Amino acid sequence: MSEKIVFKSYREMPICAMSVADMTWNLTGSWRNVRPYYDFKISPCRLGCPTTEDIQKYIYLVTEKHYEEAWRTIIETNPMPSITGRVCFHPCMDKCTRKDFDQAINIPAIERALGDTGLANPDWMAKASASKKQKVAVVGAGPAGLSCAFYLARQGYSVTVYEVDRALGGVLRWGIPEYRLQNDLLDEVIQSILESGPITVKTGTTLGKDVGLEELEDTYDAVFLGIGLTTSQRLGIDGEDGAGVDPGLEFLRKVNGGEKVDPGKRVAVVGGGNTAMDVARCARRAGSEVTVVYRRTMNEMPAIRDEIEEAEREGVHFHFLAAPKEIVRNGGKLASIIFQEMKLGEPDESGRRRPVPIEGKTFTLEVDRLFTAIGEKADLGCIEGLVDCKWNLITTADEYGRTSREKIFAGGDVVTGAASVVEAIAAGRKAAERICRLFTGDGEPESGEQRTIGIEDINTAYFERSKRTLVPRIPPEEAVAGFEEIYRGFDKELLHREADRCFSCGVCNYCDNCWIFCPDVAILRKTDEYVINYDYCKGCLVCVTECPRSCISTREEGK
Amino acid sequence: MKPAKMPTEEFMTSGHLACQGCGATQAMRFALKALGPKTALVIPACCWSVIDGPFPHTSLKVPIFHTAFEAAASTASGLKAGLEMRGDTETIVLAWAGDGGTFDIGIQALSGAAERNENIIYCCYDNEAYMNTGIQRSSATPVGAWTTTTPTAHYKKRPKKKMIDIMAAHSIPYIATASVAFPQDLIAKFRKARQIQGTRFIHIFAPCPTGWKLAPELSVSMASQAVTSRIFPLLEVTENGLKWNVWKDFEPTPVQDYIKAQGRFRHLSDEEVAGIEKDVERNWQEVLAREKLSATIPGLDP
Repeated sequence: MSEKIVFKSYREMPICAMSVADMTWNLTGSWRNVRPYYDFKISPCRLGCPTTEDIQKYIYLVTEKHYEEAWRTIIETNPMPSITGRVCFHPCMDKCTRKDFDQAINIPAIERALGDTGLANPDWMAKASASKKQKVAVVGAGPAGLSCAFYLARQGYSVTVYEVDRALGGVLRWGIPEYRLQNDLLDEVIQSILESGPITVKTGTTLGKDVGLEELEDTYDAVFLGIGLTTSQRLGIDGEDGAGVDPGLEFLRKVNGGEKVDPGKRVAVVGGGNTAMDVARCARRAGSEVTVVYRRTMNEMPAIRDEIEEAEREGVHFHFLAAPKEIVRNGGKLASIIFQEMKLGEPDESGRRRPVPIEGKTFTLEVDRLFTAIGEKADLGCIEGLVDCKWNLITTADEYGRTSREKIFAGGDVVTGAASVVEAIAAGRKAAERICRLFTGDGEPESGEQRTIGIEDINTAYFERSKRTLVPRIPPEEAVAGFEEIYRGFDKELLHREADRCFSCGVCNYCDNCWIFCPDVAILRKTDEYVINYDYCKGCLVCVTECPRSCISTREEGK
Repeated sequence: MKPAKMPTEEFMTSGHLACQGCGATQAMRFALKALGPKTALVIPACCWSVIDGPFPHTSLKVPIFHTAFEAAASTASGLKAGLEMRGDTETIVLAWAGDGGTFDIGIQALSGAAERNENIIYCCYDNEAYMNTGIQRSSATPVGAWTTTTPTAHYKKRPKKKMIDIMAAHSIPYIATASVAFPQDLIAKFRKARQIQGTRFIHIFAPCPTGWKLAPELSVSMASQAVTSRIFPLLEVTENGLKWNVWKDFEPTPVQDYIKAQGRFRHLSDEEVAGIEKDVERNWQEVLAREKLSATIPGLDP
């Protein structure tokens, strides 16, 4: 800052009317009545993500070509981005601000690309050693259990994973067909998790048979139950147990295990969830004519929209507003199914309209095979009487999976009922965090105010309309011929094209606008941030308007 | 941090006397970033003769010659001649005048300098009225606008003078329009002008929140909308006034959004706004027609 020059006599003046000092003595900050300040928000996509991936941050890091750091950002909250990038129902995209401008960012495709890059660079994964004395048992090696094990092990806690099957992965392995998630990739992901820290695996071990919960509770400092839903719901109609009628999950298990299957020429699948879609599409691949029958309409289907569309493309027929009423057999062989026609009534507790039968209206579908996929339930015999349960699910006290017993935690479908991979991952991680706090005695984290922004906070003048970058795929005819992975993922070019579309809602991505447009040169561009020089900021708030992503807030001076 | 989107060296300091959200200061900051330290300014009476600061202070890091209202172009011509006599052919002489000092009071000197093709850059930062003296109308004030000399009962009825046409008629080597809302484009045009010999005329659209009865935070947004609503086309005229090149690659925004955001247009009825919209469209088509015409002139660079 310079000094103001005041001439006391003409002798002090320069020889001609010329400037001899600058104006920095003039602290124009005193003109200001409103103060702008940097105030980053949480991008809506992150709030939409069950495991709160810092999506804005990793997409920004991609645009800057910092792939390793981007991958690390995901790993903070999700140990298997390669998997969620393929199978997640991506609620983040429903929250994406860009959907109100043109089309939402293809977040899962970016996540998948980063996850795969992480797998290709195994040295990125830090290897934790057993630095802490506590040991934790994780029962069930599905997404919840693996996630819990990962976040405990990287803190240095020894983890033993008990899995009933011979291979790890749970629903990822037995429930998701290879055209969506290849077994080889799943193996790689699981390997990367197991190698990240002190994790021991005990496969082929059934809780309640080979090892009891009380025994685990005594041996370990904490136990996490991520045992999922293993039993198919029954239709509850006559003839359900006879020939030709099978649970869809069993069929999927065979297909995913590489068994040769012959479901028959005409197949009906009852249900509207992801299992129904997977069963239908697997049956298509075995050469069957497949009809999915669902008791409500497509709008109420719980399956991921993309999966429904994909099934349609692959030639799966849909029949809505019908429920099986009677199973007809001919000489012990399944001949046909009589369906009751339904209509939508009042909304039920899930908010979806309840299907009610239309009296006297039925139709018959001639089929060779019927697969039921109307939901799965937990098999809680192994923990009965030990942990509080309700409605055949484990009761937890909070999002951190605390059960009625101090040392026992639970998460995933066995707590929530049929939900999603990403929710299970989130539950596993949160339980791991809570278990860590149990060991360290740290207090619960404070839940801060979660401020986000919407399209009205974006200065859209800085963005050009563009279409979402789609993931390359093999054509449906080719897809239905086998179990090849349908979607191929982004190459670098597509990755950057899509990442560059991100608005970076509410979080600075160093676009320079505030610095460029400040009429008072009062915003300083430092190495990794901008700083407002309040000595000179006149409070015009041009920076607030011209920040494309609403990173600057204001408050009145003196208040 | 990413690489900066424009030169980081500053030739304008904080502490200057411009109003909040001043477009003229943004224009100056960008222009000097483009031209660099070897620049000498000639500033006639205009906002910038005040913004710079009271004697003996300055908020610019390059020399300024303050001159009389009508004399920017002639003073710049003389300054350039003087520098050349002293063997300095490198320093860029930049005449920096407001719309009053360009469209009205300084037009004779400007016309003379342009006709002689003096080796100067003449830049008009246009805030569409005599803002410094108290918002009196100039011939750059747009039709429909309120000023203190065109009160709402007798708002400005005559259209804005077509300064670019006038300058093109002088057959000078480079003419461009620029906007403070598009700094990269502005800087590129100044850099291009720097490489050219002869009279170069750059017309910068620089909003004045005070004179436009506009919230200061909207000043850049208005400058942007002036371009995207086609009120102020961004263009270049090269080949001695013959070749017109108009920027069209943007998503158009409504003229009325621009008009309705500004207090100086608040008195206009919907019909009057519709009339302005028609004028804007006609002017835009005229500019496009000129661009098309240049393609038919033989011997011009494609």
